[in-house]
Amino acid sequence: MSFFENSYFLSRRELLAQTSYGVGMIGLASVLAGRSEASTPLAARPPHFPARAKRIIHLWMNGGPSQVDTFDPKPALHRFAGQRPASTTGLTTERRTGGLMPSPFRFTRHGQSGLEISELFPFVAQHADDLCVIRSMHTNTPVHEASNWLMFTGNVQPIRPSYGSWLLYGLGTENENLPGFIVMGEGQPVNGPSNWSSRFLPGIYQGCQVTLPVDYRPQDVLANLHNASLSPAAQRRQLDFTQRLNDLHRDRVGAENAFGARMDSLELAYRMQTSAAEAFDIRGEPASILDLYGLTGPNAGASANTNGGFRRATFARNCLLARRLAERGVRVIQIYCGNLQPWDTHSNNAQGQQTLAQVVDQPIAGLLTDLKRRGLLEDTLVVWGGEFGRTPATEGSNGRDHNHWGFSMWLAGGGVKSGLAYGATDEFGFRAVEKRVHVHDLHATMLHLMGIDHERLTFRYSGRDHRLTDVHGTVIRDLIA
Amino acid sequence: MIRYSLFLLGTWWFFAPATCCAQQKASPEQFTFFEKNIRPVLVEHCYRCHSSGAAKGGKVKGGLQLDTREGIRTGGDSGPAVVPGNPAKSRLLAALRHETVMMPPSGKLPDSVVADFAAWIERGAPDPRDGKPLTQTEKIDWQKARDFWAFQPPKVHAPPQVRNAMWPRKDIDRFILAELEKRGLEPVRAATNREWIRRATFDLIGLPPTPEEIEAFEKDKTPEAHAKVIDRLLASPHYGERWGRYWLDLARYTDDLGGTVGPVLAPTAFRYRDWVIQAFNRDMPYDQFVRLQLAGDLIPEPAKEYAERLGGLGFQGLGQRFSGNAVGMVKKKVADELDDRVDTVTRALLGLTVSCARCHDHKFDPIPTVDYYSLATAYNGAKLSEEIALGSPTANKARDDWQKQVAALSQKIKSAAKTATTPDAKAALESLQTELARLNQSVPPAVVKGPAVSGGGQAMRVNVRGNPDQLGDVAPAGFLQILKSKGALAELKFTRLELADAIVDRHNPLTARVYVNRVWHYHFGRGIVGTTSNFGQLGDRPTHPELLDTLAVRFMDNGWSTKWLHREIMLSAVYGLSSVPDAKNLAKDADNHYLWRMTPRRLDFEAWRDSMLVVAGKLDPRIGGPPYLDPKGKVQLHPENPENRRRTIYGFISRFKPNPTLTLFDFPEPNVTSDQRTATTIPQQQLFALNSPFVLAMSRSFAARLEASEKSEERRLLLGWQLAFGRVPTEREVAIAREFLREAASVDEKLRPWERLCHSLLTTNEFAFVP
Repeated sequence: MSFFENSYFLSRRELLAQTSYGVGMIGLASVLAGRSEASTPLAARPPHFPARAKRIIHLWMNGGPSQVDTFDPKPALHRFAGQRPASTTGLTTERRTGGLMPSPFRFTRHGQSGLEISELFPFVAQHADDLCVIRSMHTNTPVHEASNWLMFTGNVQPIRPSYGSWLLYGLGTENENLPGFIVMGEGQPVNGPSNWSSRFLPGIYQGCQVTLPVDYRPQDVLANLHNASLSPAAQRRQLDFTQRLNDLHRDRVGAENAFGARMDSLELAYRMQTSAAEAFDIRGEPASILDLYGLTGPNAGASANTNGGFRRATFARNCLLARRLAERGVRVIQIYCGNLQPWDTHSNNAQGQQTLAQVVDQPIAGLLTDLKRRGLLEDTLVVWGGEFGRTPATEGSNGRDHNHWGFSMWLAGGGVKSGLAYGATDEFGFRAVEKRVHVHDLHATMLHLMGIDHERLTFRYSGRDHRLTDVHGTVIRDLIA
Repeated sequence: MIRYSLFLLGTWWFFAPATCCAQQKASPEQFTFFEKNIRPVLVEHCYRCHSSGAAKGGKVKGGLQLDTREGIRTGGDSGPAVVPGNPAKSRLLAALRHETVMMPPSGKLPDSVVADFAAWIERGAPDPRDGKPLTQTEKIDWQKARDFWAFQPPKVHAPPQVRNAMWPRKDIDRFILAELEKRGLEPVRAATNREWIRRATFDLIGLPPTPEEIEAFEKDKTPEAHAKVIDRLLASPHYGERWGRYWLDLARYTDDLGGTVGPVLAPTAFRYRDWVIQAFNRDMPYDQFVRLQLAGDLIPEPAKEYAERLGGLGFQGLGQRFSGNAVGMVKKKVADELDDRVDTVTRALLGLTVSCARCHDHKFDPIPTVDYYSLATAYNGAKLSEEIALGSPTANKARDDWQKQVAALSQKIKSAAKTATTPDAKAALESLQTELARLNQSVPPAVVKGPAVSGGGQAMRVNVRGNPDQLGDVAPAGFLQILKSKGALAELKFTRLELADAIVDRHNPLTARVYVNRVWHYHFGRGIVGTTSNFGQLGDRPTHPELLDTLAVRFMDNGWSTKWLHREIMLSAVYGLSSVPDAKNLAKDADNHYLWRMTPRRLDFEAWRDSMLVVAGKLDPRIGGPPYLDPKGKVQLHPENPENRRRTIYGFISRFKPNPTLTLFDFPEPNVTSDQRTATTIPQQQLFALNSPFVLAMSRSFAARLEASEKSEERRLLLGWQLAFGRVPTEREVAIAREFLREAASVDEKLRPWERLCHSLLTTNEFAFVP
C-alpha cells in the first residue's frame, strides 16, 4: 500500500509499530490491538532539526500589491516620470505598459531600524522593527493563476501539493481537535481550492476552507460539527452504545489496529464538536482586542470593491481567528483578502491600493501586536504578500500591471531577522537585481524555519520522490535571526 | 515494503566519458590574468551550482559546469558559455551583464569584474584548467535490462507440490500454500458462509447481500453454491458500477476539467463513465477495452456499434487541461497536457513510470529520455480535450441534415408569412408549413456526444531537460525500446492505434501482468506486486511470481476476460479464508503478504455510503446518466445530500472544487491516475458519521423500514442486524440494545429511539469493514 511507505522519517514498519491507524488495507501490522491516543496520521511529528517556527500565518494579498507604493521606495521614479529608460525595456508583463509612474505615497523611516514604509501602512509601520522585508522577490510569470499556484504549491500548474499540505504531512498538527491547515477569506480567490490542495498527498492534508459570514454561528464553522437532532447528553449515551457494539464486534472477530483507530477517532470527533466551535467563537473577546484588530473603531466599516471585494469586518475577524487558531496549535493558517483578486489594480492604482491598505493595515498590525503580547510571534512565522507585485510603469493612464520581475513580501516572527530590508530591485523597482529571492527560495526558507530540510521532505509518487521545491530552492540564511 | 539497496540498482549502466577537445597554447601571463581575475570569481560565485562537484551532488544547474576548460567551452543546455575571442557569442558574459538570464542569482557583479571577463574572452579565454566535466553519456545495457523480472515474458508454471494436499481447491491455492509452508505459516480457518457471501457481494457489486440472498446461499448444499453466487453477482448491472469505479480512479475521471475563476465543465464526461460501466458489465475483453480507449476512432472495423467504439476515448479526452494563453506558458501547457497522457497510459496500463524520463533518462528503469518522446508521438499534435459525436456518420448526418432543413424551412416560413397577402402566397405558406410538420414527424435521434481525443502521431523533438523551449533531435516514433519484441523495425509512424496494439500485444510482458495484479489487489487488498502501478526497479517484487505469471498467461488464453479472472480467484480456498488474526502468523508475516488469512478491509466511501442507502431501503438503482439530481441539470449530485439516492459513482466529480466529503474519505485525487486508495482515519470523517444530514436521514429511513416490517422489538432487532451485518444478533447485543431503547424512550429528542439505534448500527465498525 502506498500511504506511509513514503514517510521520510520512519520506515513504514516503524511507523506502524508506533501508530494504529489504518494504512491502506487495515491491520497491515496488526501486532497491537486496542485503542491508543496519538495514533493518527495527523499526530505531531518531530522536525528534521529544531524549528524556529511552529506554525505559519500567511496573509495573502491576492491580486498583487504594488511594491513601489508600499515597501520598496523608489525616488528615481519622480525623476523619470513618464519616461521609459533603456534599463526597463524588454521586461514583458501581462499587458502593455507605458512610462514610469511615481508613487504618490510618501515613504518615511520607522522604528529603530529606520525601515522605509509608505504612508499606506501606518499601523504596520509601527511594527517596522518586527518586519523582515524581502524587496527582491521574483517569480516565473506575470499571470495570476500560474503565480498563485507557484506561490502555494511550487509549480505553475495545479499538479502539486500546497506547501501547507507538505507541512502537515511532514509535521502533523499540534491539535487534532482542529483541522491542521485552515484557509480563511471572503468569497473565493482565483484558482479556488487548487491553491490549498493536497494533490498526491493523502486527502487529509488538504487545506480546510472556512469562509464565514459576519453573523456566523461557531457550531457551523466546520461541516457536520453540530448534531441538530440530539442533545449532547443523548449523543454521548448513543456513542457509548455504539462503542459497546464495537467492543463486542472486536471480541468476536479479533482485534485489529484499524478497529481501535476508528473507535478513537469517534471519540476525537465527539470532542471536536465543542473544541472547534470554541476556537471559532470570538464572542468572549474583550473590547480592547476588537479595537486592536479594527473590528470596532473609526474604520471598522471599511471595505474595498476592486475586482471582487472584501470587508474589514471579515478580514479583521479572520486575523483575530488566526491568532486563536495559532494559540490552539493549528499548523498552517492562510488568509486571503476577498473574492478573486482585489489587489489587481490595473486602473486607478493609487486609489485602489490606498483603499485596500486601509482595510487590511490595522487588522494586520493588530495581529502582530496580539501575537507578540502573547509570546506567540516568537514561534509563529507571519508571511505577507501577493502572488507577484505591480509594474512601476503605467498601464493605461493610472494603473499598474502585474510584475513578476521583482516585488516585495515581508516576514515577521518565527526566527527571521527583524527590522531588515533584504535584497533590492533596480532603481525603478521593476526587476529584482540584488540578492534575488525566487519563490522556491522562499519556500525552502519557510520550511527551514519550520525545522524541515526542503530537500529531505519527500513523497514517493509516480516513480520518484517529489518535494515542494522540486529541484530548486536555496535557504536564504541571511533572513534567519 | 521491501527496499532494495540503491547500490544494486542501475547495474546495467555504464559510463562513457565525453570526448576531449584540443589543448590551446597560452602564455604564462595570460594564465596569471585568469588566476587573478577570473578563477576567484568563478569559484566564489559560480561553482556552487556549476561545477563537477555540483554535478556529483546532482545539483548542477542547466547542465553547465564552469570548473574545467572543456566545461566552460562546451557549456550547458543552451550552448557554449565561453567562445574564445568572441564576447558577443559567449553566453556567460551575457548572463553576467544580465542581458539574458541574470547571474549570479544573488545579484549583479561589479562592472569592473564583468569587464575583466569580457577582456579575458576577447583575448582568447586562455584557461590552464584540465580535466573533464562530469557529463557522462549513460548507455543502457539492453541485454542486462531485459533480465529484470518484469521484462521477461510471463509463462505458465506447473503448480508446486504442497504438503497439505487437502487444502487447495484451485491451482492458485497450491502456489499460495507452497509459500506459506515454506515460511512456516498456516492458513487460518475458512470463512463462514455468511462471511464469504458478504465479502463476495461487496467485492463484486459494492453492496451488502440481502437477507434472502444469504439464506438461499446457506441452504444451497450443492458443490456449485459458491459459483452460483459469483455468477449471479457478475450478471448484476451493479457489477460494472463497482469495477468501473476502480477503472475511473486509474482514468482520473472528472465532470469538469479544472479551471481558474470557475469550473470548465465537461458536460458529456458521464458518457465515458457509463461506457466503462457497460464495458465491465459486458465483460469486454481487456485487450479490446484498452484498444478502444486509446484508439477507438482509428480501428478499421465494421461501422457498427459506433457508441461502443468511440465511447472509450474519454480515457484520454478527460485528461488534464491547463490554462495556457498566459505569457510564456503556451508551450509548457501543451507539453504538460501531453505528459498527463503519457503518464496515465504508462502507469495505468504498463505499470511503468515513463514520465520520469521526460527531463532525463529514467534513473532506475531502462527508459531513456528519447523513449518518452518516441511514445509521446502517438499523442503529439492531437486535440486532447475534444467532444465528438458518438453515433455513426450516417446517423450524425441524418440529424445534421434534418436540422439544416428545419432551419431553412423555418426561415422561409418566417419571410413568407410577412408577405402572405394574396391567396397564392397563402397557399404557398401553407404548403411550407405542411412540409415543416412532416419533417417534425420523423425526427432523427439527437447526436450523442462524448469526450475524446483525435489526431496525434506527429513527429516530436526531444525537449531538452523537459524544456519545451529547448528542442533537441527528433525522437524516432515508436514504442518503448525495452518492450519491443526483438527484431522489430523502427516504426515509420506511430499513431494511437499502434500504441494500443503495442500495449496489448501478447508478447508485451507487462500489460496482462499489470491488469491481473490490479484485479488481485482489489480482491485481497494487496497485489502480488504491492506497487500496482510501478513494476520497475523501485516497485515491489512479486510475492508469488509464478502465480502472477501463470494467471497472466491464462488470462490472455481465456480471452482477456475479467469475469473469468474473478471466478478463478474467488473460487479458491485462499479467497475463502476468514480474516481472523493469528498470533503465530502475525509474528512472522504481520502484513499478510503471503495470505495466511483474508486481510480485513474497510469499505471505501462509495461502498459504505451505498450500503447505507440499501439498508435504509432508499437506493435508487438506476444505472448511468448525467451527474445531476434534476433533469434540467441544475443540481449536481453530491454524496452528502440526503436527497441524492443514487450510487456514489454517479456524483459530480470536480477538479475545480473537489467535493469535500469525498476528499475527507480518501477519494483519489482526480487530476492524476490513481491505483490505490489510501485509508486514513481522522475525526472529521467521524463527524460525518455522527452528524451529517445524510447519515441521519438514512438512520430515519432504516428505522422506518424496521418499524413497518416488524411489530415486536425482538423481530425488529433481528431484521436490523440482518440488514446491517448479515447475521443474527447475539444475546448480549439484544440485551444492550433493549436497554438502550428503554433509556432512549425516557428522553425527548428529535431522533426517536429506533432512529437512534439504527444510527448507531450504521456508525459501527462492523458496518464499515468487509469481513
